[in-house]
Amino acid sequence: MSRRPLKYRSTDAPPEGAEAEDQRGIRGPSSALTEFLRQQGINAEAIRQRHLRRLRGEEGDGEEEGQGDGGNQGENGGDNEDTNNDTQEGGDVAVSGNGEQDQEDEEKDEEELQMRIAARRKRRAAAGKDDDEYTDSDEDELGSDEESAEVRRRPRRRVVGEEETCAQCFNKFIVNVYTKSAATGGYLCPDCTTKQLENERAMKRNQMLSRKKRQRLAAALLDRQDLKIPTLQDLAIKKVTERIEDVEQFGDIGSLNMKKIAKILCRNRSLDDNTLQLFLDIKNEKLEFWDCSKLTKNSYEKITSYCPNVKDLKLLMCGRLHNDNLNYFTSNLHHLTKIELDGPFLINNDTWRNFFENVGDRLTGLKISNTHRFDDETFKTFLEKCGPNLTELKLSRLDGIKEKESYDLMPVYLTKLESLEISYPHEEEQVSDSALINLLSINGETLHTLVLDGSSGLTDEFLVNGIKPFCVNLRSLSLSFLDQITSEGFVALFNEWNSNLGLNEVYLRKCFSLGDEGIIEFLLHSGQSLVELSINSVKDLTVDTFQIMKCPNLTYLDTGFVRAVDDVVLELIGKNCPQLKVLDCYGNNRCTSKAKIREGLKVIGRQSDTI
Amino acid sequence: MTEYITLVSSDGFEFIISKDAAMVSGTIKNMLSSTFRETEERKIRLQEMDGRLLNKVVEYLYYNNKYKDSVDVPEFNIPTEMALELLVASDFLDV
Repeated sequence: MSRRPLKYRSTDAPPEGAEAEDQRGIRGPSSALTEFLRQQGINAEAIRQRHLRRLRGEEGDGEEEGQGDGGNQGENGGDNEDTNNDTQEGGDVAVSGNGEQDQEDEEKDEEELQMRIAARRKRRAAAGKDDDEYTDSDEDELGSDEESAEVRRRPRRRVVGEEETCAQCFNKFIVNVYTKSAATGGYLCPDCTTKQLENERAMKRNQMLSRKKRQRLAAALLDRQDLKIPTLQDLAIKKVTERIEDVEQFGDIGSLNMKKIAKILCRNRSLDDNTLQLFLDIKNEKLEFWDCSKLTKNSYEKITSYCPNVKDLKLLMCGRLHNDNLNYFTSNLHHLTKIELDGPFLINNDTWRNFFENVGDRLTGLKISNTHRFDDETFKTFLEKCGPNLTELKLSRLDGIKEKESYDLMPVYLTKLESLEISYPHEEEQVSDSALINLLSINGETLHTLVLDGSSGLTDEFLVNGIKPFCVNLRSLSLSFLDQITSEGFVALFNEWNSNLGLNEVYLRKCFSLGDEGIIEFLLHSGQSLVELSINSVKDLTVDTFQIMKCPNLTYLDTGFVRAVDDVVLELIGKNCPQLKVLDCYGNNRCTSKAKIREGLKVIGRQSDTI
Repeated sequence: MTEYITLVSSDGFEFIISKDAAMVSGTIKNMLSSTFRETEERKIRLQEMDGRLLNKVVEYLYYNNKYKDSVDVPEFNIPTEMALELLVASDFLDV
């Protein structure tokens, strides 16, 4: 009672003292920090006072407990007796006051405990401590806290050495310091204590196992794999790729395994001059390397000399492919009909022209991306030489083609296209509606794949006057980043488009102007045949679209950043698309772990799926 | 009652393994569910593999069979010098 006002006084005291010191004018050298602390009234004395007060506070709590215990008063220190000698009235007020305080304190304690746990978790994570270890101690802490709460609640405390009846087996035993209390109250005999400890340990172990399983599932989910035992082939391939430097020759391991090894090596960026050798064989007609960044001029020459019969050549990230190499390809690869090069920026225009002039008439597929040394003149040569036979064409990120006329020329030469990609041109105006409509009017009948990602100059007009009348056999359509495509255009295209029997793969990522009506019309036309669909970031979609979405063959769906997708919609999609295997929902905050997800469907990108 | 299958290596070693484990291999599974002679004999001759290699393959078959539903799967150890041969064998056996 008398303590509280004292405390306030003690808090007030230090600043006064400090001022007094100032007045005396005795001051040593002081830093900005010292000045700041002084202004805030923080000094060593105040800190000591606070500490003492806290100590006293804790004693107070203990003392109250002592009073409740009654029988064990003797255990308490003499300090407490002072308070007991207070007047009865004062004592009453103090107790009731303390009671309220206690409740608040308890709430605070709870919060504080949570905060402490969180802080500790952070600290441990920062220190990189073992996961399991920290949880164990964490649980211990929680446990001990509960225990102390229990101790407080119990009416009588057993003293070491007394006899007690076990709460579980009702045998008599002597209490010692290791005796545990039962969950129901009372104490346990040594035998039961061992049993309980074992149970607790087993529980912890189970928790840890389930946590591990959760982690693995989450990791596998991100890799889009099922959690299963790796096949012996995969294990062996892993081992082989680890020690690829020591391998002299692959035996008869099958072309699929060969491809797998090549892919893994590319992914690990360990395809180099030595390892390339393993894949070269005179029988090879098709070569695919996904990451050639470490291959030097010499290796490319080896390809020519070891695989003279190659028909289909795919070299991605081939930044070191030299002019001489392409010239060598030109003169020595007599069967080459398809070539795909990604990033061949060392090849200059003269070499390209030489290549097209010599190989031109037998080339049926050309895919080039990521080079600025492919200019308008070269493009024209290519069209003149290769145009009539070409069935596959990919022109992606070719910043050397600067004139609109170059793209406008395409319909003059290209007549048999089956697969066409014109993506990310230098300027969006270069690929215009009229050029594309002309091109489609000639090639539309054979065309099955059309990719126009990032050719954002295109509008609804090419949908209605290009795709609708001509592309009767179109199966795959990608229009990512075409922000001028609107719902009206989609409705006009898909409404009664009877000449086309339905699309299989459609990618509409970031077609921002599309809305419900457009997508619904599209689903009514192609819903039955759809296998893959991306409507990532088509942000205006609402639940209506997903109620219409009944696609019996859909296996992959990307609904990332379509905010209308929530738990209910997830369940709906799962029900209406029975074949759906993978569903991406990155960025949809309302998709939670509570969503009911059909068996066999993987939902990727929920915030709750953390590793 | 557990059924057993005998696998015979090129150098004459015989491995008698349970049918469950043998069925891990797609190739063996097909052999056993067809009208080949092997189906009746319950004995499969694997001329491509010597005893040392087949031993490892059998080890994997049991490993896969044992851990297919469990979470805590220990690593399957492959000796480096055997990796390529094992790759050929596993390609053949479809495991």
